[in-house]
Amino acid sequence: MQIDENKCIGCGVCISYCPVNAIGLTEREVPLTIKGKERKQVSVINFDECAECGVCLRSAGCPTNAIYQQELQYPRTIRSLMSDVLTIAEESQISGRGTEEMKTNEVTGRFKQGMTGVAIEVGRPITGTRMVDVEKIAMAVSVLDVEYEPCNPVTSMMADVATGKFKDDLLNEKVLSAIIEFGVRTEQLPDLFDILKTVETEIDSVFSLDIACLLNPDGSNPTAPYIEGAGLWVAPNGKTNVGLGRPLVK
Amino acid sequence: MTHTLHRLGMDTALLREDFVVLMMPSKDINHVGSAPKLRRFFELSLQAGAVKIGDCRSGNEYYQGGVEKILENVEDRAVIHAVFKDRESLINLLKMLKEEDLGLSVVVSGLFDEVGECCQQSGLKPHSINQSLGRWGATTKLPEVGVQEIHTMCGHGMVSVNLILKMVEKIKDKKITAEKAAEKLFKPCMCGIFNPHRAAILLTRLTGEA
Repeated sequence: MQIDENKCIGCGVCISYCPVNAIGLTEREVPLTIKGKERKQVSVINFDECAECGVCLRSAGCPTNAIYQQELQYPRTIRSLMSDVLTIAEESQISGRGTEEMKTNEVTGRFKQGMTGVAIEVGRPITGTRMVDVEKIAMAVSVLDVEYEPCNPVTSMMADVATGKFKDDLLNEKVLSAIIEFGVRTEQLPDLFDILKTVETEIDSVFSLDIACLLNPDGSNPTAPYIEGAGLWVAPNGKTNVGLGRPLVK
Repeated sequence: MTHTLHRLGMDTALLREDFVVLMMPSKDINHVGSAPKLRRFFELSLQAGAVKIGDCRSGNEYYQGGVEKILENVEDRAVIHAVFKDRESLINLLKMLKEEDLGLSVVVSGLFDEVGECCQQSGLKPHSINQSLGRWGATTKLPEVGVQEIHTMCGHGMVSVNLILKMVEKIKDKKITAEKAAEKLFKPCMCGIFNPHRAAILLTRLTGEA
């Protein structure tokens, strides 16, 4: 995203809207309408820190329409894909950063008995992330021979899905968040949690961790013993697929 | 993947006033011709007492230009939502969805115990769940929990911390009410899953006046 310094009146209304704190005020010399130049206060976007989420453009209500979307070129295009909810991912064909995961599990059968879906959303909440941190985590969990979700755009950013190595030209890109999504056998959860307890100390961002599963026929949660065994905090609130999709998977 | 998950809530009682219901078709299974069914979901949600509705693909009511536009513009591949502030309204919606049998997937975000009871009262059986195991990594960079509780109601991170803090200051200075501030915070949340009812209560607590 960029700001036209000639149009900007330096009101600063856009600054507080930026989720990654990439907008600030500065003094610039700009041309006058008739002739000569003047110094004035303008808002500027730190281009390296901007995650291309689109919030300032859509929501800040710039009084002079000074904010504009420049043409995005690869690899910067992944910033928009991972940060702007209205960008449609080619792989999933849905908006947002992720996939259908458990939301449609009753019709896709993506997560079966004995299988647990895992999502590590790097950069969420608040901090955002460079893709190098995403790579660090992916390379750490890849030792479990995980099955990366092919519909997730982050999987397409890997140079090697066996090792979790990403394409080098993406590593410095800044995004609001990127979801490493894969499936593991449920009994692998303790090993996964151990790996994450180590790698969390090696990154500069935060990540939000979640797991998804098909409930047992009696309604119990097959992952509960593993979470409890690892001594992990688990939120009392979460997502429940209520089984209304059709046709039901066999 | 998980935009309606990870809604942080230290006050369980207040989480009882925060439910998000999502409907979506599945690619290549039931997405063709799904738009009218999605539109019907919106109609039923509004009838049941939703405080907000929204569409991940096309944006919230402010972006689209009104609630009517959300219903008009819904497309086959949309991921759509309705936000509720009480379980009675949620149960009403779930009963209607079961009755109408639209055939698209429905996911409810909220306290698992509450959602389980609502399913039971609606004649539904939970199929799959998605649990949050919290925030990991450089968590010392995160702001106070009260701010996170508001921020995480937009799972795509569109509601900035600075905007939340600015609203808290404006409320303290009596320049805006908590309700209007919550509505301002809702606007960047393109999916429309930010719950302004809960946000107004949390904002008031952050001012120290609750």
